[in-house]
Amino acid sequence: MRSPRFSPLSAAGLLALFGLAACSPSGRDALPDVVDFDAHIQPILSDNCYVCHGPDVSTREAGLRLDLRDSALVALESGAAAVVPGDPEASELLRRLRSDDPEERMPPPEVKKVLDPQDIALLERWIEQGAEYRPHWALVPPEKPEPPRVRRLVTPENPVDRFIEARLIDAGIPPAPNASKTSLLRRLSFVLTGLPPSPEGLEAFLADSSPDAYEHLVDRLLASPHFGERWARHWMDVVRYADTKGHEFDYPVVGAWTYRDYLIRAFNQDLPYDRFVMEHLAGDLLEEPRQNVEEGYDESVIGTLFYALGEGTHSPVDLQIDEAGRIDNVIDVTGKAFMGLTVACARCHDHKFDPIPTTDYYSLYGIVKSTRWALRDVRVTPNLVRQAEALDQSDQDLRAALGRQWLAELEALDEPPATLRPERPLAPADTGVTVLADFRTGTDLDGWRADGLAFRPSTVSGVPVFDGDRLTALQLPRVSSAARSHRLFGTLRSPTFTIDADHITVQAAGRHARVRLIIDNFQLIQYPIYGGLEQALDDSTMQEYTFDIGRWKGRPAYLELFPGYFSSQKPVLKDSAYVEVEYAWMYSGDLPRRTEPAASLSGKELTGALAGAVRGWMAGEASYEAVSLLNDALDAGLISADVAAVAADRALRAEREAKLPAPVLAMTMLDDIGVDQPVFVRGNVVTPSEETVPRRFMHALQRGDAPFEEAGSGRRSFASAVIDPANPLTARVMVNRIWHHVFGKGLVETVDNFGLQGARPEHRELLDYLAVRFVEEGWSVKAMVRLLVNSEAFQRSTAPVDEAIEQDPQNRLWHSYPVRRLEAEAIRDAMLSVSGRLDPTMYGEPVPVYLSDFMTGRGRPGDSGPLDGDGRRSIYLSLRRNFLSPFMLVFDMPIPFSTFGSRNTSNVPAQSLALLNDPFVAQQAEVWGRRIVALKELDAPSRIRLMYTSALSREATAGEVDAALAFLDEQATLYGLEPASAANDTRVWRDFAHTLFNLKEFIHLV
Amino acid sequence: MNPHRPCHAMSRREMLAMCRNGFGSVALMSLLGSAAFGCRVVSGEATALAGMPMAPRRANFIPRARSVIFLYMDGGVSQVDSFDPKPRLDREHGQNPYAKFKVDNTQFDDIGTILKSPWAFRNYGECGMPVSDLFPYMATCADDLALVRSMVSQFPEHTNANYFLHTGIGIQGRPSMGAWVTYGLGSENQDLPGYVVIDGGLVPPGGLDNFNSGFLPAAYQGSVFRAGDTPLANVLPLEGDPRLQSNKRALMEQMDEGLLGKIGPADQIESSIANYELAFRMQASVPELTDLSAESAATRRLYGLYSDDPHTRSYGMQCLLARRLVERGVRFIELTCPRVAADRWDQHAGLIDGHERNAHAVDQPIAGLLNDLKARGLLDQTLVVWAGEFGRTPFAQGSDGRDHNPSAFSIWLAGAGIRGGTIYGETDEYGYRVVDKPTTIHDLHATMLHLLGLDHERLTYRFGGRDIRLTDVHGHIVQDILA
Repeated sequence: MRSPRFSPLSAAGLLALFGLAACSPSGRDALPDVVDFDAHIQPILSDNCYVCHGPDVSTREAGLRLDLRDSALVALESGAAAVVPGDPEASELLRRLRSDDPEERMPPPEVKKVLDPQDIALLERWIEQGAEYRPHWALVPPEKPEPPRVRRLVTPENPVDRFIEARLIDAGIPPAPNASKTSLLRRLSFVLTGLPPSPEGLEAFLADSSPDAYEHLVDRLLASPHFGERWARHWMDVVRYADTKGHEFDYPVVGAWTYRDYLIRAFNQDLPYDRFVMEHLAGDLLEEPRQNVEEGYDESVIGTLFYALGEGTHSPVDLQIDEAGRIDNVIDVTGKAFMGLTVACARCHDHKFDPIPTTDYYSLYGIVKSTRWALRDVRVTPNLVRQAEALDQSDQDLRAALGRQWLAELEALDEPPATLRPERPLAPADTGVTVLADFRTGTDLDGWRADGLAFRPSTVSGVPVFDGDRLTALQLPRVSSAARSHRLFGTLRSPTFTIDADHITVQAAGRHARVRLIIDNFQLIQYPIYGGLEQALDDSTMQEYTFDIGRWKGRPAYLELFPGYFSSQKPVLKDSAYVEVEYAWMYSGDLPRRTEPAASLSGKELTGALAGAVRGWMAGEASYEAVSLLNDALDAGLISADVAAVAADRALRAEREAKLPAPVLAMTMLDDIGVDQPVFVRGNVVTPSEETVPRRFMHALQRGDAPFEEAGSGRRSFASAVIDPANPLTARVMVNRIWHHVFGKGLVETVDNFGLQGARPEHRELLDYLAVRFVEEGWSVKAMVRLLVNSEAFQRSTAPVDEAIEQDPQNRLWHSYPVRRLEAEAIRDAMLSVSGRLDPTMYGEPVPVYLSDFMTGRGRPGDSGPLDGDGRRSIYLSLRRNFLSPFMLVFDMPIPFSTFGSRNTSNVPAQSLALLNDPFVAQQAEVWGRRIVALKELDAPSRIRLMYTSALSREATAGEVDAALAFLDEQATLYGLEPASAANDTRVWRDFAHTLFNLKEFIHLV
Repeated sequence: MNPHRPCHAMSRREMLAMCRNGFGSVALMSLLGSAAFGCRVVSGEATALAGMPMAPRRANFIPRARSVIFLYMDGGVSQVDSFDPKPRLDREHGQNPYAKFKVDNTQFDDIGTILKSPWAFRNYGECGMPVSDLFPYMATCADDLALVRSMVSQFPEHTNANYFLHTGIGIQGRPSMGAWVTYGLGSENQDLPGYVVIDGGLVPPGGLDNFNSGFLPAAYQGSVFRAGDTPLANVLPLEGDPRLQSNKRALMEQMDEGLLGKIGPADQIESSIANYELAFRMQASVPELTDLSAESAATRRLYGLYSDDPHTRSYGMQCLLARRLVERGVRFIELTCPRVAADRWDQHAGLIDGHERNAHAVDQPIAGLLNDLKARGLLDQTLVVWAGEFGRTPFAQGSDGRDHNPSAFSIWLAGAGIRGGTIYGETDEYGYRVVDKPTTIHDLHATMLHLLGLDHERLTYRFGGRDIRLTDVHGHIVQDILA
């Protein structure tokens, strides 16, 4: 049985042209009256010809290009043209396809492709009819078709049904009857929340005979917090979510779980999908970031963790190749996730099938390369900002009080008994030095960027250092994470510069902190090769730390500091950690310094200068010389070091500081200077092209060739183009994903590939209708889910009707609902739910994965997680790339390396063995058995019925109850139990529970 | 072929009925024919074979090998200390390598002086193959080995190199070669997994993903066997008394039949039911597989099971188990290394001690395996491959180690379709780089598939819009080592 791509034109006209119709039992398909390029011809050419005669110039043979009409019509070297519209006889294409000469025959024998005679006949008719071209359907923006009127007693309200009915009528297939109320409830509950309905929910639904009982149920389940958990997990497949990076030591993706929680909230709050995409791609660049509903922290920026979910190599020998691999993964996932485009296929050559030249790949490459990975406190709430500002106020109050005291002291001083000579900053004597920063002069950050609350957005000067009630010194100007509090988090980063010398020297101080040199955006600094790219700061005295960087000349780099450090790539923040910097220089050879001596001051001149310095200090603007002068004055006793007077202020400040919450760190994105990228010829980093590619959108899509004007990476412009309603792909791809999860397979079955090699939608009009409606309804995922589950198509039984078994065995016309196996997570969660062990707690750090004896190797965590995952839903279990749960994998949870919008549904003995013998399953059967035995008030038949409704969401039949009773007796006998005690023996009930877990009905929606 | 045109194949139901009725695998093989190949499987769409993923399938052409045993030398054996003697290292021992040749960046960036091999080489067999004193047992099989001295990898890091060796690509998530082979050919034993990894105690860097099925259906992932009471996860019944499980099974079957009666024919449910039958058979066949009581003392001695070295005994058990799996028609078997005191073959320091410990653990068992397979007439249908993920530098790391070297290393193949006593390819006088007949991992994969009767260009699976191959877009069969 084959399903043809075409059918005779029928009453439904053009509609059927793209669709499926009855195919003749002989297997020989009739040709369509009108051959359509996009529907009929392009798939043949793409599959058989484009590798050598398609968009990729690097492998093009004989100068022939068949994907563009103009090119296909030109005369070839031989004088003949491949395609002569209206004249099949003269068309070289047909002659070569039919040739018996192996030298001439196309496709050539070595490519091992043979065209079906049917395909050749189609090509012939297409040429006969004028060889018109039409763009690939998915690249043409969708228009909203009118849902067809169908001839039925009652026209269905739901447009989904009208599209489906029209095609079913056309094919002569009656729709399957409605599903029973119980299987519908179970279906809806799993599809919307990933959990079985509770026995109480079942009872209530069965008792509700109102006409809108079902719609109410839909609304209730859409409002359930479990909806977000279920749909976030779907999305995690799309973005290759994992908590670790795999490879040799399985380093963590810092804060990945905050992104998982972000997803759950986003789906529960029905964040408009266009906004959702924008936040993924450019959430750090929004003028008005979205605030968390409860706590007010920036939600949008967490979306950018999406970029950081890829793999990470331990100590890669070549940093450029490593970066290229990282960026390739981002491009791969970005293209597939949002637009269903396999952009990553254009890394080494133009895309073989789709209109995606390598320049598209490298424009996106430039965008990602101009983006930094940034550790960030993602719990900066407005309250925390106020707390930080209150600390600033404390500091100002203290300076005001102390300054007034000092001015009074200086006033009282008639003639200062000392001559003072303040210091000036040391500077490099050599002009060959690149000053990366000098924070001792001026108040701005020299183009450096401070993020987070630990650093002020300016240098700090004259920060007082206390020893008990004595002031020991004022700090010279610097950038410091300690000025506000050791308990705040922040990062300080230099602009990107090109390494062009042998050394970088950084004058710094700190505790439990590091200075890091990030080259080629490589974050995983680690012994052996890269140990030298970070220096430990564990001394409160300012001193120079020098990096030897000669081997990285020519590479882009930046300096990064934060009050903490990485241990095995996990950030460690100690309470006393801080970091401070005065300057950073890049140079080769020696580094001679010089300093200009300052003038000596005495008498009135000195008191005047001191008073000026105090006033400057009070305003927070004291220069290096002024602070130096004040320190000398302190030492000389000209101003008082006894600060008991401000003790109360200091105590209040300490109190405020103690209330600061601990930061929550996550690896999010930050914009860098925008850099255009050359093409790596053949994908090789050592062969960059001379020309660079401007950062822009995709060539084949709207405004695709216009370079972005945005400063920085251009991510916001890229995201805007993705979510532009004129983009033909974004809405289609997402509604198709939603359809896929609601109906078990997509309208386009290759949910991640809408290109020429993807599957064509059987229901193109329906898809387009839904895509346009999705945008019209504000990109609401919940509204789309509601529309789909409220359709009759969703509510049909799984039993196929006879006509369909013959004519549409793959159910591409949706006359019935498919039997579906539950996903790995749903199976595990259902077990927890029915056993009573489910802990519905939401959010938070992942529960460590349970490690069996079979799960060994490098990076293995010291301790196994609990066998039952603390009863938490599967979405909260840690996903360590090198230690993925075998139970989940065997039920087809994808390995998170690329976009996986459609899971396999395999069927292997290992699944049966897991359900029969896995310790988790055994444990949950035991938990359930114990709970049942505790129900003393229920007799055995009632217990059996309860267990049936819990596990299978339906009443047990009398026969089933009898069979279960017989089973219980048999087990009791084997355990040597007297009938009287069997009822209260956990073992027999455990065994029955275990058997229920093993029923096909338990892991399937039927 | 159009991606949404379904394959021509018998329905799952027909196939399952046949399996349940004990229809022989030979008949199945011919009936199924090339169903797996002519059909390009669309991701997410159940394959025509979803019900019977391990059913044996006909190869593209007549296979030389029925099974593969892959002896994975985790960490990277030093070629100049094992199969590729380099007298020049003796002459220039202690000299500065930078004065001799261009030195690549290495993983540890701690480049010492040129380091001669601490082991003497002798010639073995009629072919006169030089083998170092590290492998006195293996050396006696020289006439059975096709030695490839010109292997190159692309990655100097373990994990990338491991993924590359196992899956043909240096990142995580692609199907392992065992998964590709069972996807292509199924397996001849339906009571055991088709792709078995016998874990000696060291899962290589990169983890179990080295043995995974990537985007292929989960059916093709490697099943990890371990020495011990439970050789395979979940294979031993929970129930002490088998009748307890039988009762569960009876009730389950009754209920499942009832379900089918209620909802009508449903392939997915029927396949799931059939899989329980396989699972129950596996429960029985795995204990039989691991019961070595019928193995003679001579056989045990051959494999080193009486050795004083516990690691030799442990690896000997793995090798013996491999033979028993081959006897039972299991398609692809990989052995990982035992956990000797040194860290795998990865001797960044302490080359002599580390390599000797590792060699002592595997040498006798591997020779025993080759000889036993031969004696039982199994070697000519079993391809044995001995390989690490890369080689080591001819200069020292620090004073007494060697760093990773992806630019040259030695592997050997033996058994089905292999021309024994062959030496193929050549490295420079330091054994640092390949100078003749460079052989890539893709070439190795293409050759392995070829011996199994599979055309590496036709064994494809559609994922992410591409028909992906184990050999990506590369790979040439190494004809010169074939018999």
